[in-house]
Amino acid sequence: MKKTAIQKISDLAAQLMQKGTLIAPVQEDAGFNFREVSDARQVDLNFYNTLMSPKSAFFPQMEDFVRYQTGKSVLEAVPVEMGLKPVFLFGVRPCDVKSFEIMDIHFSGTGAVDPYWQKRRENTVIFGYAFDVNTPADGADFYSTLGIGAADPEGSDVFMMKKSDDLLLKAVTDKGEKLLADMSGLTDATPDDLKYFDETVAAGRSFKTRFTCVEAKSIAKKFEDLFHKTPFWERISDACLSCGVCTFVCPTCYCFDICDETLFGQGTRRRVWDACMFTDFTLEASGHNPRTKVYQRLRQKVCHKYSYHVRKYGVISCVGCGRCTRNCPVNIDIFSIVDQAMKE
Amino acid sequence: MVFSDSSVLLKGKYMSFEPKILGIACNWCTYTGADLAGTTRLQYPQNLRVVRVMCSSRINPSFIFRAFQLGADGVLVGGCHPGDCHYNTGNLYARRRLAVTKKILEFSGMEPGRFRVEWISASEGNKFAEVVTEFTEQIKNLGPQTKFKIVQ
Amino acid sequence: MATSFKQIEENLKNEARKLLEDGKVSLVLAYGRGYDEKHPVPFVAKIAADVESIVFNEYCTANMARYLVRYPRGTKMAVAVKPADSRAVVQLIQEDKVKREDVILLGIPVIGMKNSKTGEVIDSKTTCGLYNPVLYDVLLGEEIHGQPVVSPYDVLAQYEAMDKDARFAFWQKEFDKCIRCYACRKACPMCYCDPCFIDQNKPKWGEKSPQSHGNLMYHLTRFHHLAGRCIDCGECSRACPVDIPLYLFHKKVARECEEMFGQAAGKSIQDKPVLVNFRVDDSDKILE
Repeated sequence: MKKTAIQKISDLAAQLMQKGTLIAPVQEDAGFNFREVSDARQVDLNFYNTLMSPKSAFFPQMEDFVRYQTGKSVLEAVPVEMGLKPVFLFGVRPCDVKSFEIMDIHFSGTGAVDPYWQKRRENTVIFGYAFDVNTPADGADFYSTLGIGAADPEGSDVFMMKKSDDLLLKAVTDKGEKLLADMSGLTDATPDDLKYFDETVAAGRSFKTRFTCVEAKSIAKKFEDLFHKTPFWERISDACLSCGVCTFVCPTCYCFDICDETLFGQGTRRRVWDACMFTDFTLEASGHNPRTKVYQRLRQKVCHKYSYHVRKYGVISCVGCGRCTRNCPVNIDIFSIVDQAMKE
Repeated sequence: MVFSDSSVLLKGKYMSFEPKILGIACNWCTYTGADLAGTTRLQYPQNLRVVRVMCSSRINPSFIFRAFQLGADGVLVGGCHPGDCHYNTGNLYARRRLAVTKKILEFSGMEPGRFRVEWISASEGNKFAEVVTEFTEQIKNLGPQTKFKIVQ
Repeated sequence: MATSFKQIEENLKNEARKLLEDGKVSLVLAYGRGYDEKHPVPFVAKIAADVESIVFNEYCTANMARYLVRYPRGTKMAVAVKPADSRAVVQLIQEDKVKREDVILLGIPVIGMKNSKTGEVIDSKTTCGLYNPVLYDVLLGEEIHGQPVVSPYDVLAQYEAMDKDARFAFWQKEFDKCIRCYACRKACPMCYCDPCFIDQNKPKWGEKSPQSHGNLMYHLTRFHHLAGRCIDCGECSRACPVDIPLYLFHKKVARECEEMFGQAAGKSIQDKPVLVNFRVDDSDKILE
């Protein structure tokens, strides 16, 4: 295990920037967001969690695949080169690290491998960052309900933890080990630090955010039973605007649309994020739309995450980061929907 | 032949710049007026690309925004004089709508001189030629439009 | 002396209960408790027992008028409206999306509403600045008088004074933040078009991807579609997850329409919206 003073975090950042691309939380108008850092001094670990989830490091909101020209043969279309430098994803909270595991199921775990996701994943070193176990969780978070600890190192390559004015860095994987060995300016951790680390990880496991006893299989079954209970879903969706913010900020939402955008004969086929909450998400070429009502779309979103996903892959497609609740324009709480469903 | 620098500069800021100007003309008045300018062999700059609409109120403001995005350096809309619309009231709606368009373009930071609305009747061939000449000169002085133009 | 939020909540609950018990309405659009006090959720009471869940506090900023168009025409509804919200209902009546006789407005005079995200007091800088609803069937608190009248357009002075290139750079920076989540569109009571122009492919008015030019097209066209219709509730800007100050542009367009056409949005149900109306003596000066 290594450590460094929090004051000297920009030195660490500068070194990473020398080695490749550094993506870290940067303060913006509306909050912190993961951005490619151009100035090492921008890196700031004084945040609770970012506005947008770090999924865009592996699954960008807009990704170009192929460039073409109209009037030419399809064989002359040029695939866009990814051309990646090593990427360091810095300051990812444990709940977000867990979300990568869940997304891996979709992008590489079902037989068809998404080469864009895969390459980015392989190319990135994840620096996880523990929540502060001495500060109460934000009112919107509920990750402890889903079995995620406030200081879980699993899934990160290097796990970071604050200890008063220092930052402890523990290598969790070989990738992380190699990287840390290659870096200068880091001191070795003391036995006291090691003890603190283990104690904090343990404290993280019993750290309570908002909590309801949640058992994946029983939730999944309950939602199946409730599917046809329209009055329940109509009541739940009374307030929902069906806008799409929750989907865009969610670390485990992965729906996308492929569109061809052409201008003056030059075009690009690209992938952009889509949301099942959009009215025309299920609009078919025939003109028929099976989900025209808000309650149908909200039911789909909730059941997908807490029921169908459990049936298919054994895990709830949610990490309790609270972004959906925090960013919902009308303050809807997806977790309370689960709560209410269990009480039906 | 040698042109001195000063004579080149005198011809306007961007000597070699030939602006692309979109003209949207209403069928009954402005387009006919443009036709008259043609038959009377009036000279005016060739930068105007004319699109004919049946009435100025057919114009969706998005046409104007889109035109700038697609590279137009200027947009000139021509319609019947208010009160003379072939469909009675079309241009009265258009007047209000295009006034709002103008205000939006201005507030977004687009140069105000790039979008103009003129009332040109079928008998005003001269006016058409004058307006186009003046507008083209104005756009030449403003230079290429880069703010909205999409760069791929 | 403004009525306290607690008192307004009491009055709201009593009115709602009466209306539902008497069968005058089939639903009451109001507010309910969210995951905590500071985050109320829009709530629809359908039976008298639901009324117990109604709350009203300074964080109840959502514009309930946006839910009116969701229900079938002819549904009798009561809606709790703050000043800007009442203008939205008036505008919807002007546009014939809802009939005057189908909606009962429970007017709420307010002062001191707060933004749940920032805790700031909401005033005429980001909203219409009125204290009393413009139309109501029942007033749930005492009319507020004697407050300083601040124009909702004062905030524009700084932006109008900017040089056009600086202003363009400002808007460019703001629109580049846009993630095309469409929260602004859904939060707005006047955005009820189905399909919305941006979702259309033939013709394609703007690109779907969240790039500068697509964002510019989306926002500028939306500002135009709301010209003379925006009632300045500020919900779009509060809904925006990346804090784009949409209210600035909407206020600018609203002021221009007021000056050019002599009418503000959502003031009287007898008005016709400005862009579906004209006066033969509209001045040509507006085109200069």
